[in-house]
Amino acid sequence: MPRTFHRVIKAMIVPILFVAIFPESARAYIDPGSGSYILQIVIAGLLGASFTVKLYWKKIRSLFSNKKKKVNENPNEKSETS
Amino acid sequence: MKKVKLRSSFRDLSGFVFEKEGRVLRQVNKVYKKDYDLLISSGLYNELVSNQLLISHSELGGNLAFEKSISYKVIEPKKLDFISYPYEWCFSQLKDAGLLTLRIQKLALKHGLTLKDASAYNIQFYKGRPVFIDTLSFEKYHEGEPWVAYRQFCQHFLAPLVLVSFKDPRFTKLLRVFIDGFPLSFVSKLIPKRTWLNLGLLTHIHLHARSQSYYANKKIVKKKITKVGLRGIVDNLESTLKSLSWNPEGTQWAEYYSFTNYNEEAFVYKKRIVNSFIDTVKPKIVLDLGANTGVFSRIASSQKIVTISVDNDPAAVERNYLESKKNKEEYILPLIIDLENPSPAIGWMSEERTSFIERRPFDLVMSLALLHHLSISNNLPFDNVADFFKKVGRFLIIEFIPKKDSQVQRLLTSRKDIFGSYSIDNFEYVFAKHFRIIRKEKIPASERVLYLMCKK
Repeated sequence: MPRTFHRVIKAMIVPILFVAIFPESARAYIDPGSGSYILQIVIAGLLGASFTVKLYWKKIRSLFSNKKKKVNENPNEKSETS
Repeated sequence: MKKVKLRSSFRDLSGFVFEKEGRVLRQVNKVYKKDYDLLISSGLYNELVSNQLLISHSELGGNLAFEKSISYKVIEPKKLDFISYPYEWCFSQLKDAGLLTLRIQKLALKHGLTLKDASAYNIQFYKGRPVFIDTLSFEKYHEGEPWVAYRQFCQHFLAPLVLVSFKDPRFTKLLRVFIDGFPLSFVSKLIPKRTWLNLGLLTHIHLHARSQSYYANKKIVKKKITKVGLRGIVDNLESTLKSLSWNPEGTQWAEYYSFTNYNEEAFVYKKRIVNSFIDTVKPKIVLDLGANTGVFSRIASSQKIVTISVDNDPAAVERNYLESKKNKEEYILPLIIDLENPSPAIGWMSEERTSFIERRPFDLVMSLALLHHLSISNNLPFDNVADFFKKVGRFLIIEFIPKKDSQVQRLLTSRKDIFGSYSIDNFEYVFAKHFRIIRKEKIPASERVLYLMCKK
């Protein structure tokens, strides 16, 4: 399935990227904010893109399910859109 | 008119909670004026309240303010029946609380606001479902800013849920030790290596922990992230949380009613007596101790009596909660409480989170098939047990199970019987010093006896 393939690729690329960016450092005084801030900047692109794809995919799916609904004449089921 | 500031309400300068003549009020400070007005004018407050996601409040006159010079408004949130804390919740309660936080963050972003904190202590259970109680947690969203509460969310919700899902349900109890959630490096070390292949856990736990450690003593250059990127992070957190599961099966207590030696008739009779005792007392709030999956708690809660249904077994509490959720029950609150070591007061000056025992008095305490565990498994003399019951409630329903009962014999199989004083006569003698015995009913086809007592 393309979805599973997408997931595997992501799971493979991201660790390589991150291990390169964040080498294991010695124990240090903890400033939890900075690391969390940077991490968000790094992951935002990837997760934002994946989120956009998901939104469009949902829209396409709901388009088809609406057509199916019309065929099945089942007005009670509502598709979930975000 | 005495006003008392709540000891847990000091971190956020936007306002604080105080009590006045039994009412719980919240002062909104002038510094929070813009954000408070935006919360209301943006329509976010209405959307959250109408969907029962945020506790509703009414605005009161400024003369009720605790510190008038810095006060913008005083609000009175709807009063909760009982306060509980994350270290007392089962897996699904914590998961639902986390999902609620993310749902609120998504709605906030839609209205141009964002959550400035994501503490699990911002959630309480009200009428059977989690509800957000910190009205001052919202602030204007500025395009380009990452989520300031991201770290806190991962530590308070994701990390403990991951530990339960991959390791052991008892990990949630450790939240009592880690009041600001689990350190991510701690969780990253404990969970299996295969979690590195899960995108959500890889980013929000493993790489997050490494990033925290790497940037701990470094200056960072602040960069912007797009709103889509931010929504992507929240969406991924949500799908990661949703993917976590735990099956509450196989523990001794969660299966208790399948293995007990009660016959059907005695079980039905016991339920009937408990019901008639509850009718006599007419309590407003009940505490059911050692409640297991809440079978007897539901005698009270089904009559619209608020019932706190506690047990030490996470699997039993999980089942109890899932049943209450499935049936949309509003009056039962299952919690994980170890009676031999109930939640103490914790936090700054040991005053931030109150102890379970002192949180609020109960009208009625139920102790069914529990006394032998306290007296025999935990070596507690009757006097100490009576002291405890007297401290938490006014009326008491208690079941005495004699030594020859198979359940008591089971407790004695592996140990020497040093419990010469464990007899019904001595039980009545000791408890009569603390309580007035109102009714006494024998359960047929057993040696068990049920009592209704009132504190002297």
